[in-house]
Amino acid sequence: MPAGGYFGRALVVDVADSGATSAPLPLDDAVLRAYLGGVGLGTWLLHRLGRAGADPLGADAPLAFVFSPLVGTPLTTSAKFAVVAKSPLTGLLTDALASSRFAIAGKLTGNDAIVVRGRAAELSVLLVDGDGARLEPAPELTGLPAARTEDAVRERFGRGWQTAAIGPAGERGVRYATISHDGRHAGRGGLGAVLGAKNIKAVLVRSATRVDVADQAAVLAAAKDLRARSFGPATAKYRELGTLANLLAFNAVSTLPTRNFTEVTFEGAPRLAAEELHELRGVARNSCASCSIGCEHIYSRKGGGSQRMEYENVFALGPLCGVSDPDDVFAASARCDELGLDTISAGGTVAWAMECAERGLIDAPWLRFGDGPALLRALDMIGSREPGLGELLAQGSRRAAEVVGGGSIDFAPQVKGMELPGYEPRTLQAMALGLAVNARGADHNRSGAYEADLSGEHDRLNGGAAQVVAAIGTEDRAAVMDSMILCKFLRGVFDDPFTEWAALLRPVTGWDVDADELRATARRIVLAKRVFNQREGATAADDTLPRRMLETPLRLGSGRVAALTADRLGAMVAGYYAQRGLDERGRASREAEGALLLEGHTTENSPHGT
Amino acid sequence: MVALAEAAGIVLAGGRSSRMGRPKAALEWHGSTLLRRTTALLSRTVDGPVLVVAAPGQDLPELPPGVEVVADPVEGQGPMRGLATGLAALGERAPAAFVCSTDLPFLHPALVRRVLRGFADPGVDVVLPVARGYRQPLAAGYRTSLAALVEKLLGEGDLRPGMLFRHCEVVQLDDAALLADPDLARLDPDLDSLVNVNEPDDYAAALARPEPDVVVERFGALASGGQRGPRTVRAASLGAVAAAVGIALDRHVVAAVNGDQMTRDPSLPLVPGDAVAFLSADAGG
Repeated sequence: MPAGGYFGRALVVDVADSGATSAPLPLDDAVLRAYLGGVGLGTWLLHRLGRAGADPLGADAPLAFVFSPLVGTPLTTSAKFAVVAKSPLTGLLTDALASSRFAIAGKLTGNDAIVVRGRAAELSVLLVDGDGARLEPAPELTGLPAARTEDAVRERFGRGWQTAAIGPAGERGVRYATISHDGRHAGRGGLGAVLGAKNIKAVLVRSATRVDVADQAAVLAAAKDLRARSFGPATAKYRELGTLANLLAFNAVSTLPTRNFTEVTFEGAPRLAAEELHELRGVARNSCASCSIGCEHIYSRKGGGSQRMEYENVFALGPLCGVSDPDDVFAASARCDELGLDTISAGGTVAWAMECAERGLIDAPWLRFGDGPALLRALDMIGSREPGLGELLAQGSRRAAEVVGGGSIDFAPQVKGMELPGYEPRTLQAMALGLAVNARGADHNRSGAYEADLSGEHDRLNGGAAQVVAAIGTEDRAAVMDSMILCKFLRGVFDDPFTEWAALLRPVTGWDVDADELRATARRIVLAKRVFNQREGATAADDTLPRRMLETPLRLGSGRVAALTADRLGAMVAGYYAQRGLDERGRASREAEGALLLEGHTTENSPHGT
Repeated sequence: MVALAEAAGIVLAGGRSSRMGRPKAALEWHGSTLLRRTTALLSRTVDGPVLVVAAPGQDLPELPPGVEVVADPVEGQGPMRGLATGLAALGERAPAAFVCSTDLPFLHPALVRRVLRGFADPGVDVVLPVARGYRQPLAAGYRTSLAALVEKLLGEGDLRPGMLFRHCEVVQLDDAALLADPDLARLDPDLDSLVNVNEPDDYAAALARPEPDVVVERFGALASGGQRGPRTVRAASLGAVAAAVGIALDRHVVAAVNGDQMTRDPSLPLVPGDAVAFLSADAGG
């Protein structure tokens, strides 16, 4: 009998010309306890089911929807799921979270994860419920945005299904296409392209069962307590203004990347600020299922309609591209939603292209920083993979820079191929390390080291040993939160996170898990991701930042200069390796790999074994 | 060229304070002390080490985190002794330092930056303000490599800074030269940075001056309830400006001065022209 909160199995679905076949993959207690769920369990599944060196857009590449032990409980913010696959953008592991009813319905199909492999003969939808999986051709959905796809399949299959869908960009293989549910995207790393390569437009799930927890009364009590705490000051920012509150604040503290990371303040920031938009255009606030925070802030659009806006999409489509007109940024964000594009990678890639155009490296004289209509035009070209510039930019900034040359790779805003989020590494040097070493690439959700930089407890302009410790701490905390899964917007309510998380897991699972075990779990998950990437060819040379970040200092309003050198970053990376127990090349030992419960799989595929 | 990122700060705190009648380092200054203010101000201006040179056995008030204390080996040899000790303690860690006494209650970062820019010429050993009618050897820049020369002069019984200047390359900055710097002209037009307090009356007069005008702005959730936008308040420290706008510097709040380091240190000194941003510590997106 599985532990509380689990079914003890994943459903592995193979789609082919003839339809879908599925088989359960048993997940024993040791694996579940070692990896929890979400991105942790997804990483383990990718190790087990993914062939080393496989083309992420190939038929045999697995894509996993992974749930967690907390899904379906009344614990606030627990209705989340992870999508995990080998990324077509980075060639490495990618994992992205999305939220709401798909998570609950997906888990209550009776599975801790649903893994999809293969390729359908034509554009189809995959339906999973208590009876297993089936494939339904759906050519009529071709070219539809994800939101309209959700409407269409609800019309066709009924309201009992919850849907995760891709937009046109996913169908066309844009390497940073998303999968979305109810307007929320599993955004990073091109998971939409992976699903699109399988000719699957949407995955539909329907509840069929219930899941037991070990101590229902204790779970209810914990949920009541956590809900009460979720209304405190640690979440005020999210409730009152949402993540967009970062924009004006980051501008004030010289960490708002602007015009492709050439500046750290943006003169147009006040026009895009949450404080301004909230007053002038705020129309609604929304939340995911099972969430008491309600971080989503909806704004009216010029000409009608409304748009949910977050810091990352405003940063990437606004300051990063030099665009200050809120209507242009709203329109660009809506266009990314319709196409199914990761806004960070889209904005980063277009910003890079704008700089290339201004330097004469690409022939697109119309593409200039600050030109909102040009941004929209570029997004449309990307979404349709228009031959020429659209096709080039659909590959992401790293691949595009490799084609364009002219030194443009030095200012391609990416790590491991993934575009940088809205945190300037030169003025946030703990975050610089987090961005450099993270398995997913330049990423602010798996490494929240900016917390240390913005805490007031570290010198954010002078990264060193303290920043290494801080970065590892945030990476470990993220690994557990993303696996058990709780929304990170709750993180500020926990005074003693690992202890408190263990206290949440105990009544759900029945395990006698404690803080030390969860710390070990975090380290295991981080290491498992790294080992996966090593298997796919990642080396220490990938744990770095673009040359621009390492060679071009920034002058702050205070008169000081923020400089991050290759030597300083290298010293932090070396410190990270040492504290993670890796060798000087950033590689795990055989013994450490052996403790990952990969059941010999890594031996078969590991570079050690070949 | 010496970049600010490489320069250090040295505060000579070992004077006898005989005219003041009590230790100047410990004089109260708007909720802090003169020494803490001076060291904290240098810490927010230079990226290199900040050192306090104390007399043997001298009691010092609390200092900001990261500030180092070195003691003179002997007492009574004046500021040249402190200069030699401080420069030697820096060693290879910084090519130059802004060196000052503890009793400059209006020292402004703009003056420090202007002085240190004098080292743009690699041949310059000392950048010496000659302003407000005096040479200002205790608000000047010194190349670290002078340590041995200063020690040698001390050994020969030369205890006056003037002797040092005869043996090295000195750039003098008069009032006009200093105020040619637009930042300094805007932020410290009367060169109050060079006002020192030697006697109780000086101290009382300095304390009686109005606190500096600083611009404060609240962001995010801290700006709700009609608290958006910049406002100007008079405050000499971060704690004072937080109190003035009704913010508690708890774990959910951080501040940055002029877009620089994040802090919630209430004793952080403020100077005219500072812009203080208060924001939620729970950043993320």
